[in-house]
Amino acid sequence: MSQVEHHQSGVGYWRDLEQLAETPAVEEMMAHEFPGYTPGSMLSAGGASRRRFLKLMGASMAMAGLTLTGCRRWPKEHLAPYSTNPAGRMPGVPEQYATAWEFGGVAQPLLVTSYDGRPIKIEGNPSHPGSWTVKGKLGSADAFAQATVLEMYDPDRSREFLDRSTDKVKVWHWEGFSEKAGEHFGKMKGSGAGFAILSEATTSPSVLDMKKRLLAAFPQAKWYEYEPLSRDAEMEGSKRAFGKPVRSVLHLDKASAVVLFDADLLGTHPAHVRYAGDWAERRRSADHGEMNRVYIAETCFSITGTVADVRLPVHPGRIDALVRALAKRVGVAGVSGDEKLSKDEEAFVDAAASDLKGAGGAGVVSVGPAASVEAVALSHAINQQLGAVGKCVTLIDEPAGDRSSHFAAIAELVKQMTAGKVDTLLILGGNPAYDAPADLDFANALKSVKASIRLGLYDDETSKLCKWHIPRAHYLESWGDARAWDGSVGIVQPLILPLFGGKSVIEVLAMIAGDKVTAGDQIVRRTWKEQFIKGGDFERTWRRVLEAGVLENSASAPIQATAKAGGGGEAGNGAAATSEPSKGAFYLKFEPDSHVHDGRFANNAWLQETPDSLTKVVWDNAAMISVKDAQDLEIKTGDVLKLAANGRWMEIAAYVMPGQPIGVIGLPLGYGRTSAGSIGEKLGFNTYNLRASTTPYVIAGAQVAKTGDTYTLCLTALHHLIDKVGMDGRQERIGGKGESGRLVREATFAEFKKDSKSPHKGFEGAARLQLFKPPHTFNDTHAWGMTIDLNTCIGCNACAVACQAENNVPVVGKDQVLMHRMMAWLRIDRYFKGDAADPQIDVIHQPMMCQHCENAPCEQVCPVGATMHDTEGLNTMVYNRCVGTRYCSNNCPYKVRRFNYFDWHAKPPRNKTGVLYPGLPDQQQNDVDKIRRMQFNPEVTVRMRGVMEKCTYCTHRIARAKINTRNAGTDVKDGDIITACQQACPTQAITFGNLNEKTAAVVGLQRLDRAYDVLGDLDTRPRTRYLAKLRNPVGGGAGASSSPGEHTRMNATVGSESESVG
Amino acid sequence: MSEAAEATPSPGTSDRFVFPRWANYALPVIVVVVMGGLLYVPVAIGLGLSPKALAVGYAPTQPVPYSHAMHAGQLGIDCRYCHSTVEKTPFAAIPASQVCMNCHSVIRNKDADGKSPNPRLKPLLDSFATGKPVEWVKIHDLPDFAYFNHSAHVNHGVGCVSCHGRIDQMDVVQQVAPLSMSWCLDCHREPEKNLRPKSQITNMAWSPTDEPEGKGLSREEAQRAVGTKLKSEYGIHDQAYMTSCYTCHR
Repeated sequence: MSQVEHHQSGVGYWRDLEQLAETPAVEEMMAHEFPGYTPGSMLSAGGASRRRFLKLMGASMAMAGLTLTGCRRWPKEHLAPYSTNPAGRMPGVPEQYATAWEFGGVAQPLLVTSYDGRPIKIEGNPSHPGSWTVKGKLGSADAFAQATVLEMYDPDRSREFLDRSTDKVKVWHWEGFSEKAGEHFGKMKGSGAGFAILSEATTSPSVLDMKKRLLAAFPQAKWYEYEPLSRDAEMEGSKRAFGKPVRSVLHLDKASAVVLFDADLLGTHPAHVRYAGDWAERRRSADHGEMNRVYIAETCFSITGTVADVRLPVHPGRIDALVRALAKRVGVAGVSGDEKLSKDEEAFVDAAASDLKGAGGAGVVSVGPAASVEAVALSHAINQQLGAVGKCVTLIDEPAGDRSSHFAAIAELVKQMTAGKVDTLLILGGNPAYDAPADLDFANALKSVKASIRLGLYDDETSKLCKWHIPRAHYLESWGDARAWDGSVGIVQPLILPLFGGKSVIEVLAMIAGDKVTAGDQIVRRTWKEQFIKGGDFERTWRRVLEAGVLENSASAPIQATAKAGGGGEAGNGAAATSEPSKGAFYLKFEPDSHVHDGRFANNAWLQETPDSLTKVVWDNAAMISVKDAQDLEIKTGDVLKLAANGRWMEIAAYVMPGQPIGVIGLPLGYGRTSAGSIGEKLGFNTYNLRASTTPYVIAGAQVAKTGDTYTLCLTALHHLIDKVGMDGRQERIGGKGESGRLVREATFAEFKKDSKSPHKGFEGAARLQLFKPPHTFNDTHAWGMTIDLNTCIGCNACAVACQAENNVPVVGKDQVLMHRMMAWLRIDRYFKGDAADPQIDVIHQPMMCQHCENAPCEQVCPVGATMHDTEGLNTMVYNRCVGTRYCSNNCPYKVRRFNYFDWHAKPPRNKTGVLYPGLPDQQQNDVDKIRRMQFNPEVTVRMRGVMEKCTYCTHRIARAKINTRNAGTDVKDGDIITACQQACPTQAITFGNLNEKTAAVVGLQRLDRAYDVLGDLDTRPRTRYLAKLRNPVGGGAGASSSPGEHTRMNATVGSESESVG
Repeated sequence: MSEAAEATPSPGTSDRFVFPRWANYALPVIVVVVMGGLLYVPVAIGLGLSPKALAVGYAPTQPVPYSHAMHAGQLGIDCRYCHSTVEKTPFAAIPASQVCMNCHSVIRNKDADGKSPNPRLKPLLDSFATGKPVEWVKIHDLPDFAYFNHSAHVNHGVGCVSCHGRIDQMDVVQQVAPLSMSWCLDCHREPEKNLRPKSQITNMAWSPTDEPEGKGLSREEAQRAVGTKLKSEYGIHDQAYMTSCYTCHR
């Protein structure tokens, strides 16, 4: 057994291929006290030397003494009370407002915290079915939704109306623009010939109402809708199955068998927050003897793939065949053609079919947006055959489904533009000049339009090519409404006046249509009066909707629809799609990116620096290639590849991705922006360059070659590695009584049912190593503790972004991350298990933050008492005492402490000068951008240069809850304190509470047999405990104990012998 | 040292092993620096601890010459009439101009001539008319890494006067306490020295000897008796908790 395997796990868990290969670089990283800390580089300007270092130190100390820099006069501060206090407003008390964010045409229901009029934090709306995880208590929002608050405060957002109709760019204002536009559109009134509107996907009732009014004013105008990451295959598939556009709403909490084909329900689906919560319910139930089983056949490793029980990586040509084979096995009528399946595929389909049939209506099939229309249609037929419709699938009418698909629409628009039939083009949001399929050459066609008007948040690629640009109001600044995935309607209400004087979509449409009603709120009220609140007291209902964020019982009514036999047509045209790709040719699969989605979040530094769930890459995208292909082509991570397909080519850095299907290269979209702003410009590789409008998700027959260049990818998988030195030493001293140092534990559901302690098999003997007598006795009524359930963690990053927003955690930029200086308090470690070349490799996500050890190693070494314990068991970090020795970080076995090498908030994360150190910005000197500063949470100290920081268990939330309840004469109850990460988690994997409160949820969880302490054998006595992961493979994982690493392999003997599910 | 240099003029010996000539002057320079340092340290410490550095007595000029002595003292307006959020929130809110205008819309809003607006109230009247705030100068200013919560204190028996002094006797408000960490800890270690019944929070003239427990005792003994009783009655945390870092720093 290799060293790495030995200490990391026992069955070979590893974070990176380099670690698995035990390269010297990794060994060096582990041995180094502070990897990436090179004091020499600071002095390299004049040649590094000890002598020079001492000279500089001496000089700076002398200067510090002479100038009394410590004795600055305090700044004179002013207090500015309201002139007239708004009713109920109390300064310093955060308020929450319900609103919604429309993302790709689907509302994400949100609850926004506003502090003295500034929105600072976004959470999910717990009263909305689309985002509650505990009804009325906890609502979850994903990483994107939470990061939109930073987007609103982005200083790079466009602030002016721009006129590019002449060579010189003129700066305008709204009045001037509306006058000129009024003149322009006044002439067109009644006809609108040559007028086209290109909108991003929307189902907002008010926008659709304004669309109707606009088209009434300009009857010949054409309305197009385009979204680069479109789910239109699903819509088209339902049209084929039912004869009309139908949307499926899944209820995963009722499904005991879930079979997915390229459908990332938990990661990128518009309703993924709700789906993840529902799915988790059927995972947690494992403790009561029930557990669902998820099958996924996928063409790129997805979040859902990492937590699926049975995962089959296939190339895109196989999806149709697999769906058809499954349809046949569950008895869908009218399916013909049964091509040969490989042994793995056969086993997958047989097991899935057997589980689906056995589930009795509690089984569901879903096909993702990249699959063929036929496969989607067939999935509807399968669900119907299974009796799932009405049980775990609800069919509703697709809102605004009366349109052509997005790719057809943009192709048609470009055709009209090149034919010179479009004189006036109004582009509402989106960024088509950047993200339209490359074969259309939208940018070129746009140049030929005489009057092009763009409404956008940024002066981006599209705006730069348009004649007029209108700054768009952010959704946190404007009125609107939106429909959630289940069809329920909610109101978008502004939290703040437009910072840069932007306008919303409905306001611009009202102006152009010459509507009498021009104010955003009045337009929304009109729509609601006409469509939703018809009778009764309008104001009363309106206020109630504003408060709840959703109109009660407004989810679309389930419809009765019967799928046509065989899904309304032959699935796939057999031969061509299913044939193996010719030798040396690859499939290219386009994927949404976890940092920037389709490119729209390029300027969002939080998202850029949140590691991708699987690759752990930050600030870049990369082509994901399988381990076997990489070996064959001798490609290493970081090598630049040249991809060529359909007569176009591009270069992109490679990332060797364990678990990636052989013959498929995954290409995340959204990078390589040229006009995104100071954060997002010229990062990564623009994969839109290869995209074609006819096959937007998959390209077959691509050629791949190494260029010989390499590119520095920022890989954080190996950062903060938990080293083995101590573990080896311990093993030597106390002998081999059980293995120590296992970070993640897991078992199969079958083993777990037999023996609930099975995840800990082989580790029972690992005695606690008593180094010190625990210095603390905790006799407070509160003892804060946490549990993290590895069984429900999906690695979605919602907690990481929540922590960043809540705790004023800075971003540092790519060059600093490369030096291991990332500041995130909460990281999610992703471990692969076993053989890297195995495409069905297993993954475990492990969120890791300060464990609040009762016997904390960091406290033992701090020379100034800057990290201490309080009576409630919190490991406190006192910034004003810290002198920056970093001993604590060195001594922390979990590697969760972060050091402020600079005033990060004052330093721009993109280094423009290339010079790292001179001219340091200083937070105290007001170098932090005035607009960015508005987002800070005033209840958390903004840390300065030279201090250590780490997770505090959201101590400010604890303090607030305690003070509020004690003021009222009571004490905190379970559920009064919700940490930011716990609040954000869509699967409730994180639970926080008082360990002294017997009925607290956290106490029950910590007592489960699955619970264990990470590195507990070091006698750190962490307050955070982890719950072991359970998997539910087919066949129950027989023989797992004898050959770990093999137990999730597909067992060929399925069917009657298979473990029953749920 | 220079003799040594001259004594070994042998060619081939590099000059770098020899102290340069200016080193002769190093000793007097070192003496001056050390003496200076010895003087400098106590001066720096002394200045740092002086009331001026701690801002005790800081009494900036405010935009409106508002007199607490008159409003709170003579007229007896309760602190909470203006600082209305003190029991509910971390901040004892500075009143909105509206609150002042509750009275001043009819009282003393005119100059002596009875026509033109009272110049002393001008910033206030302007604020009320325009909706722009009056910019008061902050006097009690804690460092940004210390989190003080008014509601947590006034709801547990710490009176206004304990930190702010006899505001009801000040024409111009000034800082009376150093607001230093050690000063905070004095009370966090022995809260009984400052606790009073919740009904007396805003009473600046309250004395522990007024309470039944304190009758006939010296002021100090009376305070101890009253404070000890209230400490258990109000469920004040023990000293270990009260002096934990996260109680005030986050």
